[in-house]
Amino acid sequence: MKTRAQIIVALLAGLLTVPATYALLRAYDVIYRHEANPATIIFSAKIAMFWRLGVGGYAGGMVAFAVFFLAGLNMNRTVRGLSFASMVVAAMVAIQSLLMP
Amino acid sequence: MTDVLWLRVLERIHGHLGWLAVAALVHPAIVLRNPKRRARLSVGLTTLMVALTWGLGAWIYPEYRARIKQHIFIELPKLGWCFERKEHLAVGVGVFTLIGCIAHLAGPTFEGESTRLLMSKLAHRAFVVACGLAITVAVLGVAVASYKSF
Repeated sequence: MKTRAQIIVALLAGLLTVPATYALLRAYDVIYRHEANPATIIFSAKIAMFWRLGVGGYAGGMVAFAVFFLAGLNMNRTVRGLSFASMVVAAMVAIQSLLMP
Repeated sequence: MTDVLWLRVLERIHGHLGWLAVAALVHPAIVLRNPKRRARLSVGLTTLMVALTWGLGAWIYPEYRARIKQHIFIELPKLGWCFERKEHLAVGVGVFTLIGCIAHLAGPTFEGESTRLLMSKLAHRAFVVACGLAITVAVLGVAVASYKSF
């Protein structure tokens, strides 16, 4: 039962990491990389959105492993942290989307 | 059917499903305010609706980039950036809906009343966030689609 709960919390943490990583990567692109004007790009084989999702999924997998063990130590505190993190990630997504599209 | 006509149909379906997903997301966002309330069917169907919309959007996205994106940025860059915002927010909608669904369905399996309560609150918050983001996504999507389509 406990292992199942740990897996669920780890899965949730991994999922939450995806939009967080996505927002950070996009913000980094906007702030530090000088991208070409989209009006001048005829075609690009690389779809940045899917790449960011892929990197987010990879990071989510690593976070899920860590959270699995954290949940084993203290489930209640881990879920509380996850709940707080969900609000932080929601704010990250909103800020990045509105200010750094 | 030609490619363009086919894409046009898929785009319309995506748009209509998107608004239905917004309507569906309102239900768990309101109902799950009460942490004791169970709404498995509502949560499951809402997640399915969002997943379908998301999948269809992701499927036609490469064609949007190839055929429409540049034209919008040339003619009306502000609208082009609105679509960029829409795609970023849509990622949030998909993930937060999935988080809400898993947290709600798996909540009762947790030991301890306080942990179960936390999971219920997490599910509610996730659906509220997804609903708020989805409304913005739908409005931006209509703005872009009404300006230029396949």
